[in-house]
Amino acid sequence: MQNLALIAPLLILFPAVGAFINFVWGPKLNERASAIIGSVAAGATFFVALGLLTYLTGNFYQPAIVNPPLLDGWIRIPSVGREIPWQQRIDTLSVTMMMFVTFVGTLIHIYAAGYMHGDKRFSRFFAYLNMFLAFMLILVSGNNLLMMFVGWEGVGVCSYLLIGFWWDKPNGEGIKNSNAARKAFIANRVGDFGVLLALFLTFWTFGSLDFFKPGEVANPAHYGHLVHEGEASHAEEATTAEGESHGEEAVPAEGEAHGEETTAAEGEGHGEEVMAATESHGEEVMAATEPEYVDNAHLTYNELGIFGKAEARIHLADGETLDAGDGTQISRTVVIGPWTADIQTVITLIVLFMLLGAAGKSAQIPLFVWLPDAMAGPTPVSALIHAATMVTAGVYMMVRSNTFFYNAPEASLVVTIIGGTTALVAGFIAMGQWDIKRVLAYSTVSQLGFMVAAVGIGAYGAAIFHMMTHAFFKALLFLGSGSVIHGMEHGHHHLHGHDDHGGHDDHGHDSHGHDDKHGHDDKHTAAHAVEEKFDPQDMRNMGGLRSKMPITYVTYLIGTLALAGIFPFAGFWSKDEILADSWFAGVFDGKIGGYIAFALLIAAAFMTAFYMWRQIEMVFHGEARHEAAKHAPESVWQMTVPLIILAVFSVFIGFINIPSGIGFFSLGLDGVFGLHTLTNWLEYSVLHAHAGEFNGLVALIATVLGFAAIFLANRIYGGNKALTNDGRDPLQANAATGPFWALANARMYWDETYQRLFIGPFQRISQLLADIDWNFWHDYVHDSVITRGFNGAAKLLSEPVDQGLIDGTVNGVGRLVKWFSGLLRRAQTGYVRVYAVALLVGVVAVIVLMLLPVLRG
Amino acid sequence: MEMSGLSLLTVTLFLPMVGLTILMFLNEEKQRNAIRWTTLGFSIATFLMTLVLWSLHDPANPGLQFVQRNDWLPTFGVSYYVGMDGLSLILLLLTTFIMILAVLSSFTSHIFEERGREKLYYMFMLLLEWAMMGVFVAQDLVIFYIFWEVTLVPMYFLVGIWGGDNRVYAAVKFFLYTMAGSILMLLAVLYVGGNAQTFAVPEIVAQIQSGALVLPFDGLFSTQSFLFLGFLIAFAIKVPIFPFHSWLPDAHVQAPTAGSVILAGVLLKMGTYGIIRFCLPMFPEASVAWAPFVGTLGVIGIIYGAWVSYAQKDIKKLVAYSSVSHMGFVVIGIFSLNAAGMQGAVLQMVNHGISTGGLFLLVGMLYERRHTKDINAYGGIWKALPFFGALSLIITLSSMGLPGLNGFVGEFTILLGTFGSQTLGFTFALFSTLGVILAAIYMLYMFQKVFLGELDKEENKHLHPMAWSEITVLVTVVVLIFWIGVQPSMWFHMVDASTKSIIDGVAHFAPQITAMLK
Amino acid sequence: MTTPTLSELNIGATLPAVLLAVGTIFLLMVDIFLPKERRHLTAWLALAGVGISFVLTLANFKNQSYALADMFVADPFSSFMNMIVLISTALTVLLGIDYMRRTGIARGEFWSLLLLSTSGVMFMASANDLIVVFIALELLSIPLYVMAAFRSNNAKSEEAGMKYFILGAFSSAFFVYGAALIYGATGTTNLPEIFTAVAGITSTGGASLAYLLVGAGLIIVALGFKVAVVPFHMWTPDVYEGAPTPVTAFMSVGAKIGGFAALLRVLVTALPALAAGQSPDPVWQNTVMIIAALTMIVGNFVAVSQSNLKRMLAYSSIAHAGYILMAVAAAGNPLQSDAAAKAALVYLLSYAFTNIGAFAVVLAIEKNDGSGIELSNLIGLARSKPILAAMMAVFMLSLTGIPLTAGFTGKWFIFQSAISANLFPLAIIGVLTSVVSAFYYMRVVVNMYLTDGAGDPAEGATPYVNWAVYASFAGVVVLGLFPILAVNLTDAVTLVALNVR
Repeated sequence: MQNLALIAPLLILFPAVGAFINFVWGPKLNERASAIIGSVAAGATFFVALGLLTYLTGNFYQPAIVNPPLLDGWIRIPSVGREIPWQQRIDTLSVTMMMFVTFVGTLIHIYAAGYMHGDKRFSRFFAYLNMFLAFMLILVSGNNLLMMFVGWEGVGVCSYLLIGFWWDKPNGEGIKNSNAARKAFIANRVGDFGVLLALFLTFWTFGSLDFFKPGEVANPAHYGHLVHEGEASHAEEATTAEGESHGEEAVPAEGEAHGEETTAAEGEGHGEEVMAATESHGEEVMAATEPEYVDNAHLTYNELGIFGKAEARIHLADGETLDAGDGTQISRTVVIGPWTADIQTVITLIVLFMLLGAAGKSAQIPLFVWLPDAMAGPTPVSALIHAATMVTAGVYMMVRSNTFFYNAPEASLVVTIIGGTTALVAGFIAMGQWDIKRVLAYSTVSQLGFMVAAVGIGAYGAAIFHMMTHAFFKALLFLGSGSVIHGMEHGHHHLHGHDDHGGHDDHGHDSHGHDDKHGHDDKHTAAHAVEEKFDPQDMRNMGGLRSKMPITYVTYLIGTLALAGIFPFAGFWSKDEILADSWFAGVFDGKIGGYIAFALLIAAAFMTAFYMWRQIEMVFHGEARHEAAKHAPESVWQMTVPLIILAVFSVFIGFINIPSGIGFFSLGLDGVFGLHTLTNWLEYSVLHAHAGEFNGLVALIATVLGFAAIFLANRIYGGNKALTNDGRDPLQANAATGPFWALANARMYWDETYQRLFIGPFQRISQLLADIDWNFWHDYVHDSVITRGFNGAAKLLSEPVDQGLIDGTVNGVGRLVKWFSGLLRRAQTGYVRVYAVALLVGVVAVIVLMLLPVLRG
Repeated sequence: MEMSGLSLLTVTLFLPMVGLTILMFLNEEKQRNAIRWTTLGFSIATFLMTLVLWSLHDPANPGLQFVQRNDWLPTFGVSYYVGMDGLSLILLLLTTFIMILAVLSSFTSHIFEERGREKLYYMFMLLLEWAMMGVFVAQDLVIFYIFWEVTLVPMYFLVGIWGGDNRVYAAVKFFLYTMAGSILMLLAVLYVGGNAQTFAVPEIVAQIQSGALVLPFDGLFSTQSFLFLGFLIAFAIKVPIFPFHSWLPDAHVQAPTAGSVILAGVLLKMGTYGIIRFCLPMFPEASVAWAPFVGTLGVIGIIYGAWVSYAQKDIKKLVAYSSVSHMGFVVIGIFSLNAAGMQGAVLQMVNHGISTGGLFLLVGMLYERRHTKDINAYGGIWKALPFFGALSLIITLSSMGLPGLNGFVGEFTILLGTFGSQTLGFTFALFSTLGVILAAIYMLYMFQKVFLGELDKEENKHLHPMAWSEITVLVTVVVLIFWIGVQPSMWFHMVDASTKSIIDGVAHFAPQITAMLK
Repeated sequence: MTTPTLSELNIGATLPAVLLAVGTIFLLMVDIFLPKERRHLTAWLALAGVGISFVLTLANFKNQSYALADMFVADPFSSFMNMIVLISTALTVLLGIDYMRRTGIARGEFWSLLLLSTSGVMFMASANDLIVVFIALELLSIPLYVMAAFRSNNAKSEEAGMKYFILGAFSSAFFVYGAALIYGATGTTNLPEIFTAVAGITSTGGASLAYLLVGAGLIIVALGFKVAVVPFHMWTPDVYEGAPTPVTAFMSVGAKIGGFAALLRVLVTALPALAAGQSPDPVWQNTVMIIAALTMIVGNFVAVSQSNLKRMLAYSSIAHAGYILMAVAAAGNPLQSDAAAKAALVYLLSYAFTNIGAFAVVLAIEKNDGSGIELSNLIGLARSKPILAAMMAVFMLSLTGIPLTAGFTGKWFIFQSAISANLFPLAIIGVLTSVVSAFYYMRVVVNMYLTDGAGDPAEGATPYVNWAVYASFAGVVVLGLFPILAVNLTDAVTLVALNVR
């Protein structure tokens, strides 16, 4: 059982190998082969993840740390005395991530096999996908911030390559795509700036970047009930541990979970456990047959990871110190170079820098602008990278570092506000989009906002929960939209009697055919579109697809309901937990952040339901508004099967984390479905995760609002009213809502503002600097200024100043020298008389010089 | 002074000269291939010799190894004194490796068709290799200065004879500019040597640390500071540190591909090496005192270089300015005066050598095919040369500092060191880290302009495929990029002991000096 | 005073110089009796004479002995100077043989004059008495006047001779006047005795000190004229350009050797203590420093705008005089005087090789009518005459002071002495101006290598000339690689008047 964890490196190896094969021999392989290689590599990782899951469950959820073979440590500088290793961490959090990443990933690989059929760089596509998977798994399985950062950047590159996958499309389409890709990468780099600084701060504060050290557990208290089995003496401790985690046991315990005053006490508890811990305690733990260690009592400060150290330090009183293990005393004050600061300040800074990073990767305000453009990539990419997995990396990082966030309340408030606002803004913009994928993109941004806000209010479990459910239904929706687009294209080809079947040339990998996919502009009308540019993603061209593509329709509907948070679909549970937690945070803990989050998110939730239903109405209901829509066929099995599977999950996945209070939903299947199984499970690795409470009121409000939104959307767009006769959106047509709709449609001019505020100035300054450097510093200074500088000297050395300049054809020094010497040369007139005079002058000068000291006295 | 026998290091050092001598007797017209292969053979042999040195090198020993010392001018206390520690070793490896790439890349070059004199070209290449290696192993100030100045001559000719249209201007400028810097260093050398009664660096350093030799220091402008600046300016021009960079674009743009590769790959490193080897140990107080100023220049260089290169229309110029940015990192790494920064700086020297060298190779290969360096003349090249495009992407990413590739390890370690440095610290790290963003901006801009987009220009559609030598060169570069990126520890270990001893020599001055200046 | 005995005269010590002087007479006679077609034998005989004198010089290189009633001293210093000048003369002969013939001015007297001038230089190097300095000065100069004007068919040449003569007369006059003043102050013309006298005078001060100062000043002027330092350099470009190239080559080295030998002797042996006011350093140090600075600046800057190679080399030789003068200034520092003198010696040696080599290449491309020595005539030389061009390039690098050439060795020593004497401003001016010099020396290389064009056939590159070039090249490289060889020869050099009798 122990050594099962050693398979972890395979997570990265499989997709890496897959990618390598597809890179090197891809061009020679046929589609089928590369598709199989890619999908098998992806599938294999899923089973590895499964293996790790069984390892954890079979091993009392004890984390394992795996050093990949053949890799010596990474950055190891003897004289620095610190090491940053290649090291994977297998704990409940990372495995959770692996599970859904690999699962959704695999499905999307299969889907892509159908979707990308006929593409010139088919194999290259699968290589990228595999490469992405490899990096994503590095990201989630790394045991230190830097390794996480490797994955972080790696997925960034893959996303860059995949967004710009069709970089060679004609009519500037290709450039548009690569611009989108570049935008995404640079926005992420801005975020990385934050991550790097967070890294440096962490390193110099805690002298390490490791999340946890071997033998350390994130949440010792949570292992209480395990010890319970071995050691009776731990009974009471165990119960409190239970109490802390399972809030429902007793009202006081419940209070404890959320009560203001207890946080300190609780923390104190941990702190004490982490640092001192009575020896006896340690021994008992040793004694316990298995698991061997359930707390960190046996570890000194130096043997802890950054989070343990943070916990230990933040709870020190001023002036109080603790022994690091090597005799050095650790206090609250952090000393970095000439600077000193209190640990609280440092952690707050770290959190803020991390937030910047998350804002980049998880598309939050102010950096979210890249995600909508990222839809330039093929749909499977949007589904996998820009909905399900990569964009959640930011949230993952924050949850992973929950200790920091938990201990930085002010910063957490900022996180809440950012998340909530993003959720709201993105939701609002989504209501005004024509492009089926763009709507989903903004919806993704909005949902990420939910997760970030959840982190902000300390609902780390809920954040992961929502991340997970979202992964399923958002992937489902994207793939569904892909299927729709696909259908529309086929319809369009059928319409134009396009002879090249397969019909994927319109992805633009051929220079011919209708390269019409991504170049849509919101202004033009559908009618207009028919003769010129047909946009298969424009919802104005759709309608009535329900009958044409039944599977797609049903699955899409499920996805929509799940996203809208309708009971009992997955979205309901996760979203409700976030809302409930923020409610609790506000009402019971009296955290202002709680109220803010609740207000913003509930509104966002309403919008979510609204724009999703708008989409359903526009795409599937009513009558076809375009010939293409009339002839849209259902997609091939490679595409529909994943849809169905995802749909099933979108229905049931929510049951893995039923909140306290309505345990009856768990149908007695605890452990699989049921009473916050997920949170419980996460608590082993997320110190401050706590189970969500069920709050009837919140649930009621949310559900009611959800239905209301759907009803409203149905009233507005239902029947055949999706578009007014002049091809406008009903809201656009309506005088009252018109301006708002226009604002949403214009994406709130966010990009334009950035263009004006940052990009434009950056480019202008760049040009300016370049000119200065070349014309002034390079040419002027070197070829002119020095010359002038020597003018004076020249005057001194040559009698007649008025003798013209000489040709300055050569370079700076040369020109000046020539010029200057030119004057001198003219002094060399060929007459002996002049010489004699000069000689005389010289003689006098010398004599004066010699006599000077005497004359002076 | 002891006379020691022939050291393996000397043998390695003079191998290129043997090759040069052989070339002399080959016939320009009749034996073109012989000339090429002799050069390649000797550069490879030299590389292999450095590998041997590496295998025999004891990383735990901070002192010099393979020392050879023979009197050269005992009356002045000057001796032919070569020795090698980790720092020298890593740069020797870089030099000899880059040289192979440069020679190989010259095989496919068309410059000889118009300029001819191929034999002379390869002779200068070997002469250059000898001089550069000499710079890295010389342990006597005068000998160092000699090698340092000698590097000018072959480079001057390489740029001047086989360079671009404006080659004479660039060559003369390069010569005068760098000479102006180094000639001031000569005075500082003579002063130090004269007072120490020896020019052997280890002895001078020992005297300074034992207090036997006192170079008075009482503030930013005192004897020691002036000597420090005398050395620093020479090195700063070579690096080049921000305001002294204006010779670089000319030299880079005009130089033939191999020239640019060597220039970026090795010559620039001579400056930073000099700072580490001479400025820090000989003028510790002054180094500490001036660290913030030089560091500021470094930071300015990072941002300025990146920003300027974004606006370039000439690919070579773009890469040239990016060098200013990258070397800025090395500078702040050095003057953070702590182990992490210094180590990062050393590794970054190697990384920059490989990545930027690689970039110049790419540009060269494009130039060979299209005979233009105008970035707008390209577009969609990835489609025309798929493999080339893929390799270029990797090299671009490495120069952008992508984690897992070599560039990142260096930059990260440097920034880490800067952040925790006594002399620089938080603010410096903050601003230098901006360079990471900027790098992405200009590098991706270049990559997109050249490789992405539609392959619409006729002349780009039928580029002749890559030659075996080109493939070999690029693949080796890429392999190294990955290797260093994933397993840098080996390199850190190589230089650890020697850099540590240098740091220890300086760092303990930091507190009181910074206090004194406050 | 009684007439000294032969042993007291100690002729042996003077042999190298005397022999050359005597040889000239023999040479003249031989030349008369030789049939016209065998005239070139004279050159060989001259060469033989130089060789013998060279051997004699080496024979008692290091021992110090006084002759001619202490008016003449043969010591390592003079031996070294002799060595340099003899080498230069030998090379000049090689250059001359074919050149004189092809330019139709081959005459036997030429060689006698050359040897006469050479012996003048040697006497100057050994002069231990102002009188001898003066005689030697004339002995050195007068033949040069003639040789400068030797190209009687060419107006420029005659003009050169004329100018040189007139201005030379000026300087001789100044020298005599200066010597007289010093005699008036000290009552002796013997350098060591002057030294002893000066000590007293400086302490008492008064009129005699003024005489001493003015006298010293005038001597500096006179010798400064010979070595062509600013502002006594005006004649140089014209004379160098006008004179036949071999003469120019010899002049650019020989005259300097003589001048600096005397300058060092007078200033370091006789007047080191010539202090006034508070400063212990001799008064003349500042003067020399200022002159040196001016010389380096003017020489280098003006050289840049020259298009004629001979004129360019003329100004470069002025500049180099400035560098040597830096060593003279350094010699003012009592602790450094010997080191500085040694530096000057080494510099002169390396300069002799380099400069004669450079002139040899110029001579090689010179047309019979004396034209074809513009910078532009060098274009493409690397293609037509690769070896010649390569060597010219090396000579240029050497003049610039690039390491591994004699030039670097020389500059290194000079700067070392200046630094040790704490003449930092002078040293800085020195290095900066040498960057300027790099510009015009490099232009020669640019023309030979970087500019394409049909190279000059260089008919003048006859075997003898080539030998001269190779010899100079060898000298440059050897001095660059093994400065120790030169340094060892200067070990015993000392100018300080230790054994005053």
